[in-house]
Amino acid sequence: MMMRLLRVDFLKIKRKGLWLLTVLGPFGVVALQMVNYGVRKDYLLQQSENDWLYYIEYISNFTHLAIVLGIVILTSFIASIENETNAWKQLIALPVSKLSVYLSKFTVITILLFISSVLLLLFSYSYGLYLDLGEEIPYITLLKYSFFPFLAALPVLALQLWIATVSHNQAIPVTVGVIGVILAYSAFTLPDWMIWKWPSLINGWDKPYINALLGLSVGILLYVIGMFDFKRRDVK
Amino acid sequence: MEYIVETKNLTKRFGKEQAVSGLEMKIPKGEIYGFLGPNGAGKTTTIRMLLGLMRPTSGSVHIFQKDLRKERIRILNKVGSLVENPSYYPHLTAGENLEALRKIIGVPKTRIKEVLKIVRLEDVANKKVKGFSMGMKQRLGIAASLLNNPELLILDEPTNGLDPSGIIEIRQLIQRLPHDYGMTVIISSHLLSEIDQMATTVGVVSKGKMIFQDSIEEMRKFAKQKVVLKVSDSESAWRALLARGMRADWDEKNITLLNQSDENVATAVKYLVKDGFSIYRVEEEKKSLEDVFLQMTKEERLV
Repeated sequence: MMMRLLRVDFLKIKRKGLWLLTVLGPFGVVALQMVNYGVRKDYLLQQSENDWLYYIEYISNFTHLAIVLGIVILTSFIASIENETNAWKQLIALPVSKLSVYLSKFTVITILLFISSVLLLLFSYSYGLYLDLGEEIPYITLLKYSFFPFLAALPVLALQLWIATVSHNQAIPVTVGVIGVILAYSAFTLPDWMIWKWPSLINGWDKPYINALLGLSVGILLYVIGMFDFKRRDVK
Repeated sequence: MEYIVETKNLTKRFGKEQAVSGLEMKIPKGEIYGFLGPNGAGKTTTIRMLLGLMRPTSGSVHIFQKDLRKERIRILNKVGSLVENPSYYPHLTAGENLEALRKIIGVPKTRIKEVLKIVRLEDVANKKVKGFSMGMKQRLGIAASLLNNPELLILDEPTNGLDPSGIIEIRQLIQRLPHDYGMTVIISSHLLSEIDQMATTVGVVSKGKMIFQDSIEEMRKFAKQKVVLKVSDSESAWRALLARGMRADWDEKNITLLNQSDENVATAVKYLVKDGFSIYRVEEEKKSLEDVFLQMTKEERLV
């Protein structure tokens, strides 16, 4: 049943621009560095001993913003597909469990974000190679900074999807989303417990994997809460 | 008797508002059940509860003699539905819209063509639903409800937004279903004329309560007939009838005989002729089902 629902959800996002967004997000993040390095490459290369790490850090400055913004847009889009003509009532009246309907929506966005992360890895790696930043390529760091923000952003994803699917007024999830993006923008000054800070991989211990682990566990928790709330509610 | 749908004491409250209260719905197999009531009477809420979209505040729903709360998915496998306005995905074509449902239901792909043919949309299968007229969307909704070859078909206001020829088409289609496919159909409407032409059993709901539930013939019996007599000098004629011991009413213009046998009407006419009045017209006025319905729902309102 899950596979069927997933296939249906992928059919429904056709022509809605979600795939475009999936590619545009990571491309945008790397494109900013293309501008940055294009304009002042020589200056930037002088700034540090390890040009690769310096470059990755620049990229990660924007990754978390793109990912939080992307989540807000993706969740709102996927909910609006069902909200537009209140197709929830048609969908839930089919022989499917509400839990799997919710899980399917969540999975679709997770897959899109994962693809985004893979693309981010590919884009930043190739542009790094093009910049010729040195022989020693820090593959592990590159992997970390491509996939940890995705894991650390799962709580935001779970929260946004929850709000977007249970609100009849899509202004609510968008408002919460915009506040989230602003919070993510000021990640550096936020306390460590705020979920919008996590995708930036900044924390008091200076260990990015903590954010990824926290993201994964709190993300699952928020997902479960959202799923059961979705199940409990009447379909209007 | 075996009922396809049976609700017991079905109740739904929204805050303080009682949308449906103590509803006992009984629908035998193979019937076209007209679910009738004014707007806001609780029809759609009831239908939502039948489909498991809403949880009843209290009471139970049994469909195919199974408890909806326990076997929702197994029941819904054999139920097709169209609730209120049709739902669709405007950015997808008609075919893709049905495909999105077909994949979940798991019927063969050829079924899409079949249902599109039934509602005569086969020519626009590859057009986006965005550009469809209201009637076409409604038909697509009906096509979607037929996709899984349901044993129970629930249609909430199915002729909404259809033009007269579309209404006739859909009506003929619905009338065929019990016979051709052994389906049981529930159609809700606030228009009695609509139900009158299709339904075999009627349930009338008002203010969340079932106020009448029986065959349409039973309901017709409520439609009383009266005979109107147009005569010369109607007042004296009326008095003459009363003097002869007949029950009659007078409304300044005509004499009316309510619920009288053919014999009595003949006698009244005979008396009038004997007494020298000229009789211009003897007309029967049948109270329409519409009046019965209005009266039923009005009475309920007074309570």
